[in-house]
Amino acid sequence: MHLKDYALTGRPVDDAYIVDAHAHMGPYFNFMVHEDGSAAAMVSVMDRLGIDVSIASPHIAVTCDYREGNRQVAEAAREFPGRIVPFITINPNYPREEIEAEINSYHEAGGIVGFKFHSSLHSTDCMNEGYTPAYEYADEHAIPILSHAWNGPGGPMKVVGTLAERYPNIRFVNAHSSSGWQVIDNACALAEEFDRVYLDLTGSRLFYGALERMVDRVGAERILWGTDNPFIDPRPGLGRMLCAHVSDDDKRLMLGLNAKKLFRL
Amino acid sequence: MGAEPTAGMRWIDCNARIGRWSNPQPEQFWTSEDLLAAWDDVGIEGGLVYHAWSWEWSPAHGNERVLRETANSDRMWPCYVALPHATRELAPPRDFARAVRESRGAVRIFPAKHNWSVHDWCAGALFEALESQRVPVLVDVGELDWESLAAMLQAHPDMPVILLNMYYRVDRWVYPLMERCENFHLEANTYGVFLGVERLAERFGPQRLVFGTNLPELEAGGPMALIAYAELPEADRRAIAGGNLLRLLGEEE
Repeated sequence: MHLKDYALTGRPVDDAYIVDAHAHMGPYFNFMVHEDGSAAAMVSVMDRLGIDVSIASPHIAVTCDYREGNRQVAEAAREFPGRIVPFITINPNYPREEIEAEINSYHEAGGIVGFKFHSSLHSTDCMNEGYTPAYEYADEHAIPILSHAWNGPGGPMKVVGTLAERYPNIRFVNAHSSSGWQVIDNACALAEEFDRVYLDLTGSRLFYGALERMVDRVGAERILWGTDNPFIDPRPGLGRMLCAHVSDDDKRLMLGLNAKKLFRL
Repeated sequence: MGAEPTAGMRWIDCNARIGRWSNPQPEQFWTSEDLLAAWDDVGIEGGLVYHAWSWEWSPAHGNERVLRETANSDRMWPCYVALPHATRELAPPRDFARAVRESRGAVRIFPAKHNWSVHDWCAGALFEALESQRVPVLVDVGELDWESLAAMLQAHPDMPVILLNMYYRVDRWVYPLMERCENFHLEANTYGVFLGVERLAERFGPQRLVFGTNLPELEAGGPMALIAYAELPEADRRAIAGGNLLRLLGEEE
C-alpha cells in the first residue's frame, strides 16, 4: 500500500513514523476552536490519522502568557506521555531573569527538546535581546528553534546569518515555508545558504507542485511536516504530504524521520 | 458514529479551472487533458470547470470557450461566469439561467474582480433568474464581504450558494448564516477549522458541505483527506465528497 492510499481511503497511517513538528493547543481569540483545542481532542485526531507525536506550543504561550502556556503543555505531556511533547515558548518582552528562570526550571524538569518563538504575535523580532537566554541554551544543547518568522533588521537572510555565526550549534526551523510561491523561493534560498536551516510545511493550503519544488531544491532531509493543530485541522496537511509527487521514502523523512533525529525523540 | 475507511467514494470537484492564466508556475497546468490527469491521479470522477478567460479576460468569451471544451466530455461540466444584466454583456438573465440549467452547469461570480455588486439594485434580476432555475452559484470568499453575502442569501433564499476557498477563521461569520440560510453551502477544501467539518455537518447537516479542489492552483490531496478522515457516518462522507454537488446540479447521486 502506497502512502497516498491512506489519505484517499481515510485509513490511519500505520507504516510511517509521523511527527507533527509544529502544533499548538487550546482556544484562540480570533476564531472558534472546537473542543477548546484540548490535548485530549488533539490526541484523538492524531489517533485517527496515525500521527505518533505532536510537538506543541499552546496558543496562550504565543499570545498573552508564555509561562502559562509552558505550564499547560508540560501538563499535557504528562497526561499523554510520548504523544504530546512541549516546545518551550519564550516571550522576549519579559525580564531576562524571568526567562532564564523559566528555561532553568524546564531544563531541571527533564530537558528541552526545542524552543518556539512567535516574534510576530509578540510584536518584536528575532534580534530582541530577550531571546538571548534561549539562544544560549539552544547553542549549548544543540537544539532547534522553531520561529514563526526569522524577522529582524535586514530580513531573514541577515538575521539567520548573524545568529548562525554567533551560535554555531543551533538548528533554525523556518515556519510556514510553503505558504506561497515567493515564500517558498525565499525559504529555499535560506536553506541553500545555511545548512542548519530546516523548512517547516505548516500552512492552510498548498499550491499545486509546491512541495515537489521544495524537495527538488533543498532535499527531503531538510523539510519537516507540521500542521498548526488545532489552530488548523491536521487532516489537509497530512493529505497534501501523502498525495505529493515524491517517493514514499522522501515522504517518510519529511513526515517524521527528520524530526525524530532533529528533536532527538 | 461510523468512521471506517471508505474505498470507492465518488469524488466530484466543484472548483476546477482550465485555460491559460496570467501567472502559472512551471509546475502548474492549464489544459483539459492535464486537469483530467490530475483528477485521475487521485481518483476524482469529474466536476465543474470554469475557464480562465471568463475570470481574467471576458466572461462572454470564456463561457463560450468552456462550453466548447466541456461539450464532448462526460467528466467536465461547464461553470459559467455571470454578470448583472444591465450592461447586456451576456444573454438576458432568464435565457442565461435556462441555458446553464440545460447544460447541467452552474454559475460562478467574481463581483470584486469584475466590479459589480451582489445587492439587488445591481444583481437582483440575475439572481431572480438563477433562483427560479435553482442554479447553484459559486463565489470565492475573497470576492465579497460578509454583509453583502448575507444580503444576497437572504434576498434569494431558494438560490443555492457555495462559498469557495474557505479558511479557518470564518466560523463566527459562517455559523449565523448557516442558521438563517438553508441554501448556504461551503466548499470543504480549505475549510481548515479543527474538527470543523464534523461539527458543521452535525449541527447543520452534511448537505451543507461540498467537495472542491481549486485545481490547478492548489493540490487535491489535502481537501480529499479532510473528508476521507472525517469522523462522520460513511453516508455523510459520501454526500460531501460528491453526492451534494450532484444533487445541486440535478444529477442522480
